[in-house]
Amino acid sequence: MSVIDILFRVDEICKKYDKYDIDKQRQQNAYGDDAFARLYATFESEIDSALEKFERAAAEKNRATSVALNAEVRRTKARLLEEIPKLHKLAQKKVKGLSKEELVTRGDLVLVLQERIQAIPDGSAAAAKQGGGWSTSTSHKNIKFDSSDGNFDDGFFQPSEESSQFRQEHEMRKMKQACLDFISEGLETLKELAHDMNEELDRQVPLMDEIDTKTDRATADIKNTNVRLKKTLLELLQHKQQKEEDGDGGKKDKLTQGRRSQQGRG
Amino acid sequence: MASSDPEKLMLKGDKLTKLSLTRWNADWRNATTLYEQAAIAYRFAKKHEMAKIAFEKASKGQEMLSSPWDAAKHMESAASLAKELGNWKEVADFYRRSSELYSECGRSQPASDALAKGARVLEEGAPEEAVQMYTDACVLLEEDGKEQMAFDLYRDLTALYVKLEKYSDATTLLLRWGLAADKCNAINSQCKAYLSAIIVYLYLHDISQAEKCYNDCSQIDAFLRSDQNRCATKLLTAYNEGDVEEIKSVAQSSTIRHLDHVIIRLAKKLPTGDVSSSLRNESKDDGEPLDENDLT
Repeated sequence: MSVIDILFRVDEICKKYDKYDIDKQRQQNAYGDDAFARLYATFESEIDSALEKFERAAAEKNRATSVALNAEVRRTKARLLEEIPKLHKLAQKKVKGLSKEELVTRGDLVLVLQERIQAIPDGSAAAAKQGGGWSTSTSHKNIKFDSSDGNFDDGFFQPSEESSQFRQEHEMRKMKQACLDFISEGLETLKELAHDMNEELDRQVPLMDEIDTKTDRATADIKNTNVRLKKTLLELLQHKQQKEEDGDGGKKDKLTQGRRSQQGRG
Repeated sequence: MASSDPEKLMLKGDKLTKLSLTRWNADWRNATTLYEQAAIAYRFAKKHEMAKIAFEKASKGQEMLSSPWDAAKHMESAASLAKELGNWKEVADFYRRSSELYSECGRSQPASDALAKGARVLEEGAPEEAVQMYTDACVLLEEDGKEQMAFDLYRDLTALYVKLEKYSDATTLLLRWGLAADKCNAINSQCKAYLSAIIVYLYLHDISQAEKCYNDCSQIDAFLRSDQNRCATKLLTAYNEGDVEEIKSVAQSSTIRHLDHVIIRLAKKLPTGDVSSSLRNESKDDGEPLDENDLT
């Protein structure tokens, strides 16, 4: 036997014994020709799937996927909300086998369903909960300005713990910045001074070299002069000593010497 | 000679130098000594006119004795006495002559110093002459490769130009200063000179010139990398946006406060004139707006 044959045979058998399938019978019996019930069932299944998607989105680490899932959830919600009026109309229709009370309950069921759909959490609600409005990733379809709608009670303007912490941090940072500015100004002045000193020193280097050469020359001259002075003084001293010796030794010949020296000079 | 009568000394000196039938060679050596003594005596007695003449003659004598150094020194003394007398023409002449004599000795620094002294003295009395003397002094130093020493002269000359309200001359000079600084590798002075030039242009409210100047200076690497460049960009953008507050705050910034005090005074007065109108003029000057259909 081929696979197709098996399939056909199985189908036939199932059809034959369908009346013994309890769940299926219950389903078919329960809803039968009831369009409302069918639609209600689809609604329920959609809501469940949406909730499931939201759960997945919340657990998702990747922001992009979570955003996508949230968007899907929102789309589903919107679709369901659109179809609610249809459901409402069907609820009003009379179906055979239903009592009057059930008709009324059906209307209530529709309303409950509507609420349930709106209560499906999607990304926007979750984003609003994140503190301080720091979120930027999720787009807000329902951006509400001044959502408090006028309940400016005392608590509204009081600084919450978080905001006062932020303010403190901001002020500390401002102080630190002011100190740093002060330091930077001082450093700038130092830098300018250093640059100018550098240039001044560069200017004075050749001058110092000139002074060096000149003082070397002067020192050499002085040394020379000193040496010559010393020599001259020594000679003078020797001369004087010799003269004195001669004077002592030749006292007898003083006159002749004097006459001779006078003659010499003349 | 212990004679303290300067008149007698002068007469003696004159006698020694005047050529006549009996005297064929002037005795400059003795004459110079006499003249010097006379000059000192006159100066002590506060007889400026006579002292000046004595110094002149002493200088001449030294020249004759082929010692230009001493001659130049005497000339300078004569010039300072002429200053006391308020005789500006003579002051200028004497200082120039002494500068020439120093140059003869081959010493450019004292030569330029002499000119600078003269210029400083003449700032009040004969500013044009002073400008000329300053310029000549700068040229002297630059020729000798001593640009570093010229910075003080440039600074004084800039101050003089600003006082005379010759702002375009001042900017030209500042750019020359920048060039001199570049030659001796004084980057900080160079950048400061360029920034000062831009500020002077802005003071004249000539924004296009200022921008041109800025573009020229940006060609130079050292300026491009400097603090002064950043300050200049800030200032020019503030001008282009017409933001008066920003201009004022940049003008008070520390970079500008380290420039020459003359420039700081100009910067404090920025912006001169209406900044927003200059904005409109700028956009007009841009020419026709870009034509979308023009594919060239």
